[in-house]
Amino acid sequence: MKRPQIAPYLLHALLVLFFLFPLLFMGVSAFKGDEMQLLRDMGTLRAFLPVGELSLQNFRDVADRTRFDLAFWNSVGVVGLTVLLGLLVNSMLAYALARFRFPGRRWVLGAIVALIVIPFEAIAVPLLLLVNQLPWFSEGQWVQGWLDSYHVQVLPFVANAFSVYLFYQFFVALPKDLEEAAQMDGAGPWRIYWSIVLPLSKPVIATVAVLQFLARWGDLLWPVMVVRGDEHATLPLAMQTFFGQFPRQWGDVMAFALLATLPTLLVFLVFQRWFVRSVISSAIKG
Amino acid sequence: MSTSRSTPNARRLRWTPWLFAAPGLLLLTLFMAVPFGMAAVLSFTDQRLLTHAALPTEIVGWDNYLRLWEDDSFWAALGNNLRFVGVVVPLQTALALGLALLVNRKLRGSHLFRTVYFMPVATTMSVVAVIWSLMYSPDQGVINRLIGVLSFGSIGPQDWLRDPALVMPAVMLLSIWQGVGFQMLVFLAGLQAIPVDLYEAATLEGARPWQQFRWITLPLLRNTTIFVVVTTTIYAFQLFTQVQIIASSGAAAPVDSFRTLVMLMVHEGLRNGSIGYASALSVVFFGIVLAISMIQRLIIREEGGAA
Amino acid sequence: MSRSAHRSRSALRLSRLALVAAALLGSVGTACAQTVVSMWVHAGAGPEAKAYSEAVAAFNQSHKDVRIDLVRLPEGSYNDQVNAAALAHKLPCLLDFDGPNVYNYAWTQKIIALDGFPELKRIAETEMLPSLRRQGTYNQQIYSLGQFDSGLALWGQRKWLKKIGARIPTQVGEAWTLAEFEDVLRKLKAAGVAFPLDMKLNYGMGEWFTYGFSPIVQSLGGDLIDRQSLKTAQGSLNGPEAVKALSLLQGWARSGWINPATRDDSDFIQGRSALSYVGHWVHADYRKALGDDLVLIPMPKFGTRAVTGAGSWNFGISADCKAPREAAAVLAHLMSPEEIGRVTQANGAIPGTRTALARNRNYSAGGPLAIYAEQIQQGVALVRPATPAYPVITTAFSEAVNNVLAGSDPKKELDRAARRIDQAIKDNKGYPALR
Repeated sequence: MKRPQIAPYLLHALLVLFFLFPLLFMGVSAFKGDEMQLLRDMGTLRAFLPVGELSLQNFRDVADRTRFDLAFWNSVGVVGLTVLLGLLVNSMLAYALARFRFPGRRWVLGAIVALIVIPFEAIAVPLLLLVNQLPWFSEGQWVQGWLDSYHVQVLPFVANAFSVYLFYQFFVALPKDLEEAAQMDGAGPWRIYWSIVLPLSKPVIATVAVLQFLARWGDLLWPVMVVRGDEHATLPLAMQTFFGQFPRQWGDVMAFALLATLPTLLVFLVFQRWFVRSVISSAIKG
Repeated sequence: MSTSRSTPNARRLRWTPWLFAAPGLLLLTLFMAVPFGMAAVLSFTDQRLLTHAALPTEIVGWDNYLRLWEDDSFWAALGNNLRFVGVVVPLQTALALGLALLVNRKLRGSHLFRTVYFMPVATTMSVVAVIWSLMYSPDQGVINRLIGVLSFGSIGPQDWLRDPALVMPAVMLLSIWQGVGFQMLVFLAGLQAIPVDLYEAATLEGARPWQQFRWITLPLLRNTTIFVVVTTTIYAFQLFTQVQIIASSGAAAPVDSFRTLVMLMVHEGLRNGSIGYASALSVVFFGIVLAISMIQRLIIREEGGAA
Repeated sequence: MSRSAHRSRSALRLSRLALVAAALLGSVGTACAQTVVSMWVHAGAGPEAKAYSEAVAAFNQSHKDVRIDLVRLPEGSYNDQVNAAALAHKLPCLLDFDGPNVYNYAWTQKIIALDGFPELKRIAETEMLPSLRRQGTYNQQIYSLGQFDSGLALWGQRKWLKKIGARIPTQVGEAWTLAEFEDVLRKLKAAGVAFPLDMKLNYGMGEWFTYGFSPIVQSLGGDLIDRQSLKTAQGSLNGPEAVKALSLLQGWARSGWINPATRDDSDFIQGRSALSYVGHWVHADYRKALGDDLVLIPMPKFGTRAVTGAGSWNFGISADCKAPREAAAVLAHLMSPEEIGRVTQANGAIPGTRTALARNRNYSAGGPLAIYAEQIQQGVALVRPATPAYPVITTAFSEAVNNVLAGSDPKKELDRAARRIDQAIKDNKGYPALR
């Protein structure tokens, strides 16, 4: 039996500290009700320890001064819908590119890869102008302009070039035997895609879902431009309440940040096990 | 797939790829290609964000591009981005690989460590940047305290966010901290796809761990490495949130020592209202990053998968 | 389809028609009864936000024909939100904006002139403080009304000043000269105060740097832009006077009299500083922490005359408004002494009309904040330049200040700022006064 190695554990311990300490700071500060105490603690080890007067005051402030619950559900709805629709739309596009030889395929693929480079900030203003001209069917009639709504926060982000690329790389590497067999049996393309290809794509689905979720959850620039007020606001916009007038209430900011981060941690925890497990299983199968 | 072109089934098959691709293509065209096209067109005009109705937008040809060429802030921003990419991409990639190797060993609690290392990725960048900016405070900051303790007092407290020489390294540290967890997972997936028998066979032949790493692991991780490098490069060029938070959280280093291209885009476009100028910057940005990603892929040729 | 199915379908159709008709009649009914005036206000998390909510609630209670629909937007991203809405023609009827942004909104025709509303014209000309009238005027027309003005001076801790034997001015005429001011700082530092002057550098690059520090430039004889022509910043912003002003700041940082690295808002309260160069909005916090030890000192004469900041958030009516008369009525109501009293009670600002100012004990002679009123009345308070180029001016100047505090050469930074401003003016063809 090999001697138990201490070195890797020691390394792990240091790394855990390194990766956790800012989050510890956030978590602990959220419970420090006294702002002065928080600032005094900042330069010492006490910044990471839940010492001193702990209270739920910051959380109460968050509840009083922002509509956290509304913003939270808005975020969940908007981001969830974007991600789910995106999984469907992007995988379909990638499937078409990976499995079918149609004219213009190389150009489309090249264009999509090029689109990955474009940062959102480069198209923010033209997109705003565009979105203001688009019609939408609401309350029984066509209205112009998409501002101050949910669809303006969802639809522009459903299709994502990077997600398409990830799906494409995965599909291209996927062995075609199962699909060809199903085709021999007379299954139509949609059937093949839905019942065979997608179930085999769990790792890439998990990856794309997590990436898109993380990217959209923290988006601030677009909501600032298209949403005003509390009705359709998501969490990052709601957090702006604490950034503006001084003195900044760091305790409140940390409490808000803690509440806003927990869902993403949860999403990740669920998906990462699925992701790694599915990678392992497909590796064994492959 | 050869089928006769005139049967209904064949006709349906010809339309199939377009049906699959249609929603994605429509959305990408409408919400990415069209706005970028608009930006490209606007780059040749003097479009302003808000302006008097009677003051029309005029075509100015290459003026915006010439102004960009002569703008110190543009070159400073480009330099910052290149410096950032040049340090973060290799460092973060190497660190991610190292972590993946560490986590891949059969140790107790590996999946717990894996989760912890990913936690920063799951935190929103704006929150991360705010926390780190507090930690970088010269007199009360934790980072300085830590460095002081570790160096037994020989290295004094630094003004991380106001010293032009230290501000980019500070941003690099915080970005790597936030991003390495995801790349670690990608490498982990790549590592687990390598069949264990290869290692067993190598050990039987007397190969040492370092040799196994060099001749089995690295080559088989080639595609994964390319993916990690290219995506980290693209994300690194799009650096914005962290530096914007530093610029607005207190007096900072001279802005040109940490302003990035995307931040310049937002400042010129949204704050100063020079949409034409900011659009020219977007087009140039697009060109530069596209060129660099293509060069990267050419240098490290991909194996398998269509290029 | 069977006859019974037909009948049930028709019944369904009829009932749907009835519903629609009822809804239409109902909405027409309320439209006749009430006009909705949409209103945006910048608001943080504090008492100011509450004050506006209460004001709107009280108004809605007492007026049955007009209803205010209030949306409070966070201050941090307020300008961006307003600009995006302006671009999309989605501005509300009534909105507020910070000081000198009014000229840009007026020139781009996002807000309408208020001279056409007799009640507002009357308030502007007879009631409102002259500094606010200057702030709200563009092209000889009134575009905005302000409920309050701002005050900027020095807060001090009496015990420290007594300890070093400094003279404490009690009136605007007795203000310190530059030499005296620096002497006080030197003595405070020697007496053990960590960073004698707190300049709220933790606010960061933004409007504060311009609002707070351009008075130093102006006091020494420079300015943000040539106010005669409003066409160029060359000579005013990068002339020797302005360079001297920023060099002063840089010198204070080097001598350790100010702390540019601070991220802590409580330097003054905690005693790390004995003087605080900041405006009226800290009054409540400071008074609570220091009580009688707190003293307000008039703005020092850095140059030949003392100059201090002026102007604050003010309200205008947007061009997108479908009910401008009603919006004007709401604005007139907001300018009443009671409403001004309500909001200035919450945020501590200088009440914007003569009547409201007279009612506020703080600003009457001998009151703790009397110096603010004096500074306005004696012309020490100088409004920021009345040009649509202001957003560019403030970004350029505050960036220059930030860079200078980090060690850059003041002349180089100011040259660059002046070039940027001139470029923006050129881009907009000099902001011509078009009809």
